Amino acid sequence: MVASFQRRVRAAVAGVMVLVVPVAFAQNTIKIGMITDKVGPAKGYAEPVANGAIYAVKEINAKGGLLGRQVELLVEDDQGKPDVSATVARKLVDAGVAFILSVSVSPATQQAQSVTLETKTPHMTPSNSGDTLTTQVNNPNFWQTGPLGSTQISTLLSYARNKNYKRVALITDNSELGQITARFFKAGLEKSNIQIVSEEVVPLGSTTADPQMQKVRAANAEALFMAGVSTPENTQILRSYRQLGLKMPVLAGYNLSIPVYSNVAKGLLDGVTFVDAFDPSKPETKRFIDSFKKDMGSDPYNLNGYGYDGIMLVADAIKRAGSTDKEKVREAMQATKSWQGVMGGVGSGYGFADGKRTGFDANGMVVRVYEGDQQGKVVYVGAR
Amino acid sequence: MNDFLELVVGASASGCVYALVALSYLLITKPTGIINFAVGEWAMLAAFGGFLALSRFNLPYPVGMALVLVAMFAVGWATERIAVRPLVERGAPALAPILALLGMLVVFREIVSLGLGPDPQPVPPAFGFGRLELGAVAGSYQSFFIILVTLSVFAAVWYFFERTLAGKSFEAVALDRRAAALMGINLRRVTSVAFAGSATVAALAGVLVAPNVSAHYLMGLPLAIQGFTALVIGGVGRVEGALLGGLILAFAEQFTVRYAPVPPGLAMGVPLVLLIVFLLLRPTGLLRAREARA
Repeated sequence: MVASFQRRVRAAVAGVMVLVVPVAFAQNTIKIGMITDKVGPAKGYAEPVANGAIYAVKEINAKGGLLGRQVELLVEDDQGKPDVSATVARKLVDAGVAFILSVSVSPATQQAQSVTLETKTPHMTPSNSGDTLTTQVNNPNFWQTGPLGSTQISTLLSYARNKNYKRVALITDNSELGQITARFFKAGLEKSNIQIVSEEVVPLGSTTADPQMQKVRAANAEALFMAGVSTPENTQILRSYRQLGLKMPVLAGYNLSIPVYSNVAKGLLDGVTFVDAFDPSKPETKRFIDSFKKDMGSDPYNLNGYGYDGIMLVADAIKRAGSTDKEKVREAMQATKSWQGVMGGVGSGYGFADGKRTGFDANGMVVRVYEGDQQGKVVYVGAR
Repeated sequence: MNDFLELVVGASASGCVYALVALSYLLITKPTGIINFAVGEWAMLAAFGGFLALSRFNLPYPVGMALVLVAMFAVGWATERIAVRPLVERGAPALAPILALLGMLVVFREIVSLGLGPDPQPVPPAFGFGRLELGAVAGSYQSFFIILVTLSVFAAVWYFFERTLAGKSFEAVALDRRAAALMGINLRRVTSVAFAGSATVAALAGVLVAPNVSAHYLMGLPLAIQGFTALVIGGVGRVEGALLGGLILAFAEQFTVRYAPVPPGLAMGVPLVLLIVFLLLRPTGLLRAREARA
C-alpha cells in the first residue's frame, strides 16, 4: 500500500517535472533561430549545413552553455521560398531569438533580411556564397561567411597562373546562385585578361548538356571553368565532356567539393580540379571530424562544417558581447577578426573588414583534384 | 557535319523522353479529359525505383526495369482509386481531380525526398556509358536505346488504339462518354487502365532519362512541363502527335542552343517563343483529334 502510494507520488512529481522543466529551460536559454529549407530546392545543401549547426549547439551545451545558459536552437522551414523566409524570420524574432542563421537559397536569405533590418536582429548565413547578398541591402545586422564566387575564381586562377590560359570556356546553370557565381567567374577571368571563347548555360531540368559542350569543343577552349551549383546539371556537363571526347582541363567551383559527386558522377571525375573550403588535414578540422563522427555517427564533410562554424561564430560574438543585447551582439560580430574555424585552409580565419560584412578569408580556399572518383589532397591554398 | 548528326541523335533521344511524358498525359486526357500534372512525379518515382533496383540491389537491367514498370502500373491504378474516383463519383467539378492530382504531385515528391534523401542518385544505363558510331552518326548507347524503346512503345500504343477492340473503347469514351457507357463500355475500367497505363509510360520515361540526369526529387516538374509542351505542340488527341511534339520541342531547344546566334541566357526562351507563334498559327496543335463520325 505504502509502496504503491510512493510510486504514485514519484509519478506525479515526474509528471510535474516534465511539465515545468522545459518551461524553466526555455525561460533561461539563449535562443538562436535557424531558417532552413526542408522541402525546396536547397534541401540537399541545407540539410547537412543545418546538421552541423545542430551538432555545434549540442557541443556548446555539453560544455556548459553560453554565458552560463543553455543554447536553444529554434528551427524553421522556409521551403526555399523568399516570402515564407521573411514570415518565419518574423516568427523567430517574436520568439525572442538573439540571432538568426539562414541556411536556405540566396533569394530566401535576401528576403529574410527585410525583417532583420527592420527589427535590428543579428542575422548571418554561414553557407550562401553569392557575392551580392551583403551589397544589395544595406543591412548592418547581416553577415555572410560562405566562400564568395569571387574568392573561388581568384583561388582557381591563382592555382592555374603558370598555365597561362588565354582562351577558356565558362559554363553554369540558370539557378540564381549559378548565374551570380558565373558573373563573378567572368569578371575574374576578364580581369586576368583571359578571353572567354564560349559562355554556356545549362538550364535546370535539361536532359542533356551536349549542345553546350559541342560549342565548347568547337571553340577550342584551353580550359573549362564550371560555375554551376546544381549537381544534376554539373553531372550532365561532365558526362557530355567525356562522351564528346573533350580533353581540356576542368576547373570547377565549390559545388564539386560535395561528396555526393563521387556517387552520382562515378567514372566522370578523374582529374577535375575544384575549390573547397575544407581541408581534412587541418588540426581544427581533424578534431571536428573526430568529434562529429563520435557524436552523430556519420563522417562529416564540408557542408556540415559551414553550419558548425556558423553557430560557433555566433556563440563567440555573444560571448564577447557579454549579453544577448542585439546592438552589443551586432558590434561584437562586426569586430570579429581572424577567428579560426573548421572551414578554410591552414592559417586562414574569419573576420569582417571595416564596412564589409563578408567574413570568409579571401585566402582561405583550397584547391583539390579528383583522383579517380575520390577527392584528392589539398594541392594549393589561397589566392595570393 | 559530324556535330550536326551527333546533335540529331542527342535531340532525338531527348525528344523521345518528352514524347513519352506527352503520351502519359494523353493516355489519361483522351478518355477522361483530366490533365494530370503528376506524370513528371511518376517519372521521378520510377527513376528512384531504377536506382533501387539497378544500383542498390544490382538486379539485371531487364528484371529491374520490369519490376519498376509493374510497380508503377500499380501506383497509377492506386492514384486513380484514391485521388480521382471518389471525386468523380461524388459529382465534383471537372477541375477537382486536376487539383487532387497536383496534391498527389507534392505527396510523391515528399515521400521520395524524406525516404531516400535529397541527394541525386545514379541510375545505370542499359548498355553502359559507351558511344556508338555508325559512320558520321554518333551518340551514346543510351541515346540509341531511348530512341528504339520509344518508337516501339509508340508503335504498340498506336496499334492498341487503332487495331484492337479495347483500344476502340478508349476512342469511343474519348468521343462521347455518355454514349460509350450506354453502349456497355465500363467507364471505370477504362479510367483505371488509362491511369495505370499512363503511369507505366511515365515510368519508362523516368528510367530511360535517369542515367543522364540522375534520379533526384526535383526532376519531375521540368519533365512534366516539357511533356505538356510537347503534347500541346503535337495536338492533344493523337498518339503520333505526342511523338512529333516531343521531337519538335527537343530539336528547337538543342539546335537553338547550338546554332542560334543568341546569348546563352536567352537561348532557352527561344523554343517557348516558337511555341507561342506555333499556337497562334495552329491553335489545335500539329495533328487534330478525330471527331465523331455521323
